[in-house]
Amino acid sequence: SKESATEGLGIDKEVEVKKRAREPRVKLDEARLLSDQGIPALRKRARVLKIKGKGHEFSDTYRLLSMYQLWLDDLFPKARFADALAMVEKEGHKTSMHKMRTEWINESKPRDIMAE
Amino acid sequence: NEAPADVVHPEVRAHINSLVSALGGFDEDGQYQLGDDALEVLRDIKKWMRFYDQKLNRMDVARCVSETNLVNGDILAILASWHENATLQRFRSRVALACYELMTPLTWPLEKDAETATVNYYRHLPVLRLAQVGYKRAIINYDGAQILHTAIRVALPSMAVPLGDRTLRDQGIIRLVLFFLRNIVMIEPPAGVKYDGDESQISRSATIDAFSYQEIFLVLLTMASNMGEDFRTEDSTVMEIIFHLVKGVDTAKLFMNETQLSTAKASELTDMMKKEEAMIHAFNQNGPTRHSRFGTMVWVDRGEGKMSALSGQDALLSSAAREQKMDNSKKYRPPRRGRKGPDKKDLVGLGAQISLNARANGQLRKFVEEFLDAGFNPLFQHVRRSIDREAPHILHHHRAQFFYLVSWFLAAERARQKAQQSKLKSGQRKPAANPADEITSFNLVAGVLNQEMFIFMGRALDRSYNDKDWKELSVVMRCFTQILLTVQEMYESGNEDDEEIAENILSRLFYEDTTHDAIANIIKSYKDQGLDYLDACTELVHTYLRILEAYSKQNVDLQVRSRQRTRKKKKAAKAAANAAAAGIDASADGAESLVPDAQADDDDSANDEEMAQKASSERKFDFKKFANRFVSQGVVDTFVKFTANYKDMTDDQLKRAHRYFYRVAFKQDMSVMLFRVDIIKLFYDMIKGTTPLDRHSSMYREWEELSKQILRRCMKKIEDRPVLIIEMLFSKTPSTAHFLEYGFEKQTVSTT
Repeated sequence: SKESATEGLGIDKEVEVKKRAREPRVKLDEARLLSDQGIPALRKRARVLKIKGKGHEFSDTYRLLSMYQLWLDDLFPKARFADALAMVEKEGHKTSMHKMRTEWINESKPRDIMAE
Repeated sequence: NEAPADVVHPEVRAHINSLVSALGGFDEDGQYQLGDDALEVLRDIKKWMRFYDQKLNRMDVARCVSETNLVNGDILAILASWHENATLQRFRSRVALACYELMTPLTWPLEKDAETATVNYYRHLPVLRLAQVGYKRAIINYDGAQILHTAIRVALPSMAVPLGDRTLRDQGIIRLVLFFLRNIVMIEPPAGVKYDGDESQISRSATIDAFSYQEIFLVLLTMASNMGEDFRTEDSTVMEIIFHLVKGVDTAKLFMNETQLSTAKASELTDMMKKEEAMIHAFNQNGPTRHSRFGTMVWVDRGEGKMSALSGQDALLSSAAREQKMDNSKKYRPPRRGRKGPDKKDLVGLGAQISLNARANGQLRKFVEEFLDAGFNPLFQHVRRSIDREAPHILHHHRAQFFYLVSWFLAAERARQKAQQSKLKSGQRKPAANPADEITSFNLVAGVLNQEMFIFMGRALDRSYNDKDWKELSVVMRCFTQILLTVQEMYESGNEDDEEIAENILSRLFYEDTTHDAIANIIKSYKDQGLDYLDACTELVHTYLRILEAYSKQNVDLQVRSRQRTRKKKKAAKAAANAAAAGIDASADGAESLVPDAQADDDDSANDEEMAQKASSERKFDFKKFANRFVSQGVVDTFVKFTANYKDMTDDQLKRAHRYFYRVAFKQDMSVMLFRVDIIKLFYDMIKGTTPLDRHSSMYREWEELSKQILRRCMKKIEDRPVLIIEMLFSKTPSTAHFLEYGFEKQTVSTT
């Protein structure tokens, strides 16, 4: 009798709770660093960076730092500048990232030699 | 059932209460009268403590005693009634001894050891800690008698017996009394609790005053100077008492006279006020000029057609302020690994800096001077030997205390010499100065400047590093630093004998290559060990490099013993080639390829066994190459973490960091190692950021110049090698750093 009383309410039926996978957390990883928004974008920005040289050390540095900050803000908006820098630095220890770094350096070498 | 249940068993409480009331009481004249069975009663209470509290691991009896006024009301009165001239009364002296047998366990340092702690510990510990502070106040400030002095009177007959004739009971009494003194010095108001009594009654100054007035210092001096002759196993306890007396006391201030001290304090105050003023000034400049609901809103054009919105008037200040505001509004924090468990109790128990009042300062100074003159060498040599042979009475924290005390007294000795020299100088003008004030010799501290000590210290350095006992390691490093500074001073003292000894010590110190390795390793592998550790290791590296540099300049043919590999000739070249091919930075040039770095050693382990074996040999010391090991990324990172606290750093610490970065950038020519965005940001922030260094501080100019030079080099490098823009994000390997610095690959053996 008790059962029949609650039957109509449907509270005895088992409700299936589906576990939805949590949205994966966005990370500042290699893929992001190597994407168009990543290092390539940084190089593009660096091309327009003006360095005045002697006598303007601090203002030059300010422009340099602000370039990095805005770049990181576009690349990975949620982290603060200092935190994002630490994340990028950490990514640099990975083998594949290492490979890319050596590639970039080697790329720059012939230009250096021609300049000399 | 209304009343809350008692925290201890009612029968225990009843027993203790009846025992305490049977002990005795005050008669009509205010004289304390012993009960008929007072001695038996005291022994009964002792039995309760031993067989109930200690055996069953409860603290109920101690809790009951703390609530009965036993110490304050009875024991101190009983001791007061034991007159000086009644020393020979057998019964009274036995009662007195029984009193100390109770007080020593009552004042014993309470430690919470998570593994053996019972529920009772958590229940009683807070009460007992406060009760102990009460005991200390009562004992130190008791008007009726000198309780500490009486303790010595109890032990004196046993001390008078020659060492060989002492019975076990005699030794026990001496130990008991020493532990009682140790406990009294050690008791401090529990951390985190606001002590609601008069702090000045239990402060270090009051303790020192009592120790001086009741002639405990004399006893300590006697025991320390006779260590090894009349006393053996008491060494660690005497050391502990001294440790708790001097820990946290500033040695420089200790040897100032009153006028110097007051000027020092006044200048400290003005410095602080200036700092505060600067802080307020910086805030006012950037602070709002209108009320908080003024509602300013700005668009920031960030190029490429993108805009960001910011609110608040401070967004109008400058683009730097806008960028910082954008950054600060972000809520996300990167996940951090939690701390590894709660901090273990600080066994060394180093608290904050202690400031003494003028009276205690004078008393402690007198003690320290006399101790240096007579007790330093015998005590510390004896303790070192005890620790070395792992004697059963040595506990783990004694090592750290030993190193702390050695470094403290070395610093004190140098402070004293400085004070005396300045006194002599002023004495030349005034002929009335006492001619007996001659400069004390370094002989007084020679006991810690011998070869055994260096071996001992080297082992301690290794051991605490391997055991990851960072607290001990930082104390050992400080000790090492102080020894180096003392030897340095001897070297420049102008006294021929001292100079020769110092020369010998330095050559021995720098002869062993393993010490160089150990120091380089420690600073390289800093990670989350805390500020104190950071301070200690940077100080050691700074001092070590400086002294070694000066020494190797004067002794061009300095030899060091290094462990190196001897290989069969053919395979040596091959291995070197392998190493080079793998991109490992082998040693600088071909001639020295037989002396690979530690790094290279690890890497070609594949065919290790057949071709390599370790041997030690001598080689010429090359300071430049040695200093190069302190240019690696790990060391730079450590110093950067250290410098990140620039707002709280003293001038000395700022100088230390400054000299290091100067060395990296300009002496070793590896400024590339500093070209990383966070480091550049740090240099920029120190000078031009929102919270820069204090403009009026003496180190500001030097830092400004250094930052400027480094930043200039950085800009030039970016123009020369655009790829640096990318590399500035990352740590650099030695080879990339070398390329960025010089524009060509490092020459290795294989490429020739």
